[in-house]
Amino acid sequence: MAGRKFTAISLLMLNLLSLLPLLTISFSHDQPTDRRILVLLDDLALKSSHSIFFTSLQSRGFDLDFKLADDPSIAVKRYGQYLYDGLILFSPSTDRFGGSLDLEGVLDFVDSGHDLILAADVSASDLIRSVAAECGVDFDEDPSAMVIDHIGYAVSQIEGDHTLIAADDFVQSDIILGNAKIEAPVLFKGTGHSLNPDNSLVLKVLSASSSAYSANPASKLSNPPSLTGSAISLVSVVQARNNARIIISGSLDLFGNRLFRSGVQKAGSSYKYEKSGNEQFVTELSKWVFHERGHLKAVNLKHNKVGGTDEPSMYRINDDLEFSVEIYEWTGASWVPYVANDVQVQFYMMSPYVLKTLSTDLKGLYHTSFKIPDVYGVFQFKVEYQRLGYTSLSLSKQIPVRPFRHNEYERFITTAFPYYGASFSMMAGFFIFSIVYLYNK
Amino acid sequence: MARKTGILVLASVLLASIASICDSAAIFNPISDAHRSAASELFSLSDGSFGSLEETYEALRTFVVLGIEKEPVIRTSVCASVAETLSSPSSALKDLFQALRVNGILKCEINDKAFAEIAFRLKDSVNAANLLLDFYHSIGGLMLIKDQTSEVDVHLGDADRIFRSIKALSQSDGRWRYSSNNPESSTYAAGIALETVAGLISLASSEIDHSLVATIKNDIMKLFDGVERYDDGACYFDEKFVDAHGHQDPLSASSSVVRGITAFATATEESLNLPGDKIMGLAKFFLGVEIPGSAKDLYHQIDALACLGNSRVSVPLILSLPATVLSVSRKDQLKVRVNTVLGSSAPPLSVKLMQIFSSGSKDASVIDQELKFDPDHAVHVLETLPKNIDVGKYIFSFEISLQDPEHKKRYITGGRTKVPIYITGLIEVNNAEIAVLDSDIGSIEMQKKLDLSGENDVALLANHLQKLRLSFQLTTPSGKAFKPHQQAFLKLRHESGVEHIFVVGDSGKKFEIILDFLGLVEKFFYLSGKYDIQLTVGDFVMENSFLRSLGHVELDLPDAPEKAARPPPQLVDSYSRYGPKAEIIHIFRSPEKRPPRELSLAFLGFVLLPFIGFFAGLLYLRVNLKNLPRSTVPATFAFLFHLGIASVLLLYALFWFKLDLFTTLKALGILGIFLMFVGHRTLSHLASVSAKLKSA
Repeated sequence: MAGRKFTAISLLMLNLLSLLPLLTISFSHDQPTDRRILVLLDDLALKSSHSIFFTSLQSRGFDLDFKLADDPSIAVKRYGQYLYDGLILFSPSTDRFGGSLDLEGVLDFVDSGHDLILAADVSASDLIRSVAAECGVDFDEDPSAMVIDHIGYAVSQIEGDHTLIAADDFVQSDIILGNAKIEAPVLFKGTGHSLNPDNSLVLKVLSASSSAYSANPASKLSNPPSLTGSAISLVSVVQARNNARIIISGSLDLFGNRLFRSGVQKAGSSYKYEKSGNEQFVTELSKWVFHERGHLKAVNLKHNKVGGTDEPSMYRINDDLEFSVEIYEWTGASWVPYVANDVQVQFYMMSPYVLKTLSTDLKGLYHTSFKIPDVYGVFQFKVEYQRLGYTSLSLSKQIPVRPFRHNEYERFITTAFPYYGASFSMMAGFFIFSIVYLYNK
Repeated sequence: MARKTGILVLASVLLASIASICDSAAIFNPISDAHRSAASELFSLSDGSFGSLEETYEALRTFVVLGIEKEPVIRTSVCASVAETLSSPSSALKDLFQALRVNGILKCEINDKAFAEIAFRLKDSVNAANLLLDFYHSIGGLMLIKDQTSEVDVHLGDADRIFRSIKALSQSDGRWRYSSNNPESSTYAAGIALETVAGLISLASSEIDHSLVATIKNDIMKLFDGVERYDDGACYFDEKFVDAHGHQDPLSASSSVVRGITAFATATEESLNLPGDKIMGLAKFFLGVEIPGSAKDLYHQIDALACLGNSRVSVPLILSLPATVLSVSRKDQLKVRVNTVLGSSAPPLSVKLMQIFSSGSKDASVIDQELKFDPDHAVHVLETLPKNIDVGKYIFSFEISLQDPEHKKRYITGGRTKVPIYITGLIEVNNAEIAVLDSDIGSIEMQKKLDLSGENDVALLANHLQKLRLSFQLTTPSGKAFKPHQQAFLKLRHESGVEHIFVVGDSGKKFEIILDFLGLVEKFFYLSGKYDIQLTVGDFVMENSFLRSLGHVELDLPDAPEKAARPPPQLVDSYSRYGPKAEIIHIFRSPEKRPPRELSLAFLGFVLLPFIGFFAGLLYLRVNLKNLPRSTVPATFAFLFHLGIASVLLLYALFWFKLDLFTTLKALGILGIFLMFVGHRTLSHLASVSAKLKSA
């Protein structure tokens, strides 16, 4: 008996143990930070030439799996499960990936909520261009075009063609680029891209200056370049609706050790920075893309009548209600209360009937109260929260609203008193008349 | 394939491919302080050691080559571990070899007895070995012992046999196998084998058969035939063999081969007659890696360069320029530095500027001018640029000539070195003017002078029948007309954000653009209104590239026909997309209008007046109740009948106050039956009474 019990317990333990690694390492909604990342390279030398970037990822606990982009053993999915949480494509010249991965596969990977860093470069392959195009980013069609800036270039003793750009036009977002201001300009050498105006999810993180343009530096320009000025984006990010995040850079060197270590002096300024802003820029951006920052979750969406505590199954028009929701922010290690003054709730049926800003108690709870409109139907409480850099919150809860019941209307209307008076005086008259009529002699 | 497995940092490949567009010229810089700081960073001490003995050796060797002093910090702990490995009889061959290598640098105190024991073990294993790595470790170990002590006899007796068994592992293409069972050949193994053979030659107690040495030399030549080449002249040995860790990188393979051939050349003391351009190419390859990111790569790079720097084969000399962007306005001088790959100074030599190619044209001007040597800074200086050199992009071709004929055998200079040079300067802008012209006659409607060195704010008016003309002149410092290679853009920006860019044409003397609005209305999407004018002029040799706002032009264009193209959608400002939305408050339906309460009450009074009239009428008619039944039973029924009527009326009142229809109807039903019964009795009684009266 005791033996059997022991076996049962040890079997249970075995089961638990086999589950344990799954629980601890896999991507989950409680731990939004990515863990396993597939790095596809054109050339294994990139591992060494971009080692500072990779080492910084590894030291932050990421598990990097390096593969050549044409390695036949590449697989991101097995038995319907994704093997990785993130993908780094440092393979600008790859025409097709090895193994089972293709354009479709990369898009599916992102569509299922995983993250992507894509670095293109001069003469990027059609495959890389089409991945970028699917994300709303169009690289310059001329494969040999580079971003050139004759005013905002980085002063260099040995590079005279002004393709090494000192860019300092960053997106104004602490969430994407971290709290610390990036002092030194970021060195960029590569191809530029423009954003598709129809795509509302993509945004420029690093833009070129207004004097930049995209052209082949070796040839003389006869036609106006297709990309000019600050419309050129050097690095862009996408925050998808399913919380997948994407970085698209027109330069692979941006992530490389050489530009990380190099000093930078912007043309026209006499100050020379000891170190370019690349390392800070890339590190902060990678923290964002792998969900170490800016990930929100909303829980405990609650509503009740003023004075009550239970959630009713239905409201009546003109009821007063209280609404609350809790929002937390992921810091990379734990969930902390999210503090903002612009979270809004909508009371929505086809269009918002009520849109109200929630007030917060600074501990994550957001609440408000309002009166239900005098329109009945099936309504929704909607919290649609989209802020620059944060994951989007989209919550909704359906609730029917009914009109007054027949006995809930006002019973005694003063205006009707003459009618009531007429009826009752008539009734009283009838009573007296019936007696008088029967017994008068 | 070469592209995919190639080791060059992509950056340098890029640089190289760009450079190859402009006449395949590239600069490689020798090892510098950047490498030293990178080495200190990459080989960092964790817990006071570098890790395994192999890693320790790689770190120490790199530091020795780069001249970094770090020994004392780790000396005691590493020496202890070396002594432990060497004294332990169970140490593996590989560990013994690594320990001896470390000891070769640190010179720990190991007694000769220990060396003798190890030498004995190593000799045994040489005789028993059949794997390449076993040969390598044991012969390498013996070589290291030979260097470290002279007391121990390390000579190998049966050298020819051992030589043959190593040679048996070689392949026809010059590469080697790790073991006779494994058919895959490796370039890395070739380097190891060459080092082993070199060791064997110097350890052999009797002279090795010359024909055997000649076959090895032949193998080396074959190996060099298979060298891969980049566009910029860099050469490397590709590695197709994938080891257990999945590594197959050309850097370690090339490094191993370089170590092997230098060891072989040193041991045989013979000239290998290797092609100089390939040795130069290898040096360029290792320098092209710039600063590797991993400790292992750095070791391979530095060790190989050290071998090339001191080798008996031939020492490549690297010509580098501290600056290739020279400013005419700052009067920069062209400086050329010649070093060995490790950055140490070269033997006495002279550098000549042979030719200057100007970009875009094939013709070269032959100069053949010797640069002046500045011994203080160890640079060769071209004091004044040739007269015909204006701002622009050039390719300078240099040649190194060694002064000592003896050196010519030892050093390779790589022939002519072509270096792209940018000569920059301040460009003068003048005669800038903007004008609106009448289309048909070309008469000037409005003309404004512009000062392009400062801000301008002109305001122009034009319609679709007119033209806009902008012209300016650019002059180089030497007074010639300057033609920007690249950027002379005129940008018109409409209020709605639609931009149009035009390249300002160059008519030889001046830059001029004429915008004929009649032909442009369609391109402008028929958008009338204010257009801001912006002019950008830039070039990589122009130090004062500028972007100026010139003012605006108010365009009056015809209305758009129905089928005209619409302007493309403009990118929405990403910040505006995110902020909070405006609050919405529901507007409730206003309640119906009601008369004032007093009016209702007044009417209530009016309505009650007839009731009072009714009472007055009753009093006036002097009604009585004399007909009430006198006897008990009919009186009771009459009382109940009226009580019933009263309760029905009361029920109606209750219905009004609170009851609903169903309760009321139920109660009314019961009361109705009761009323019918008592009513019937009462009325029949009254009828019978009146009938009695009539009959009476």
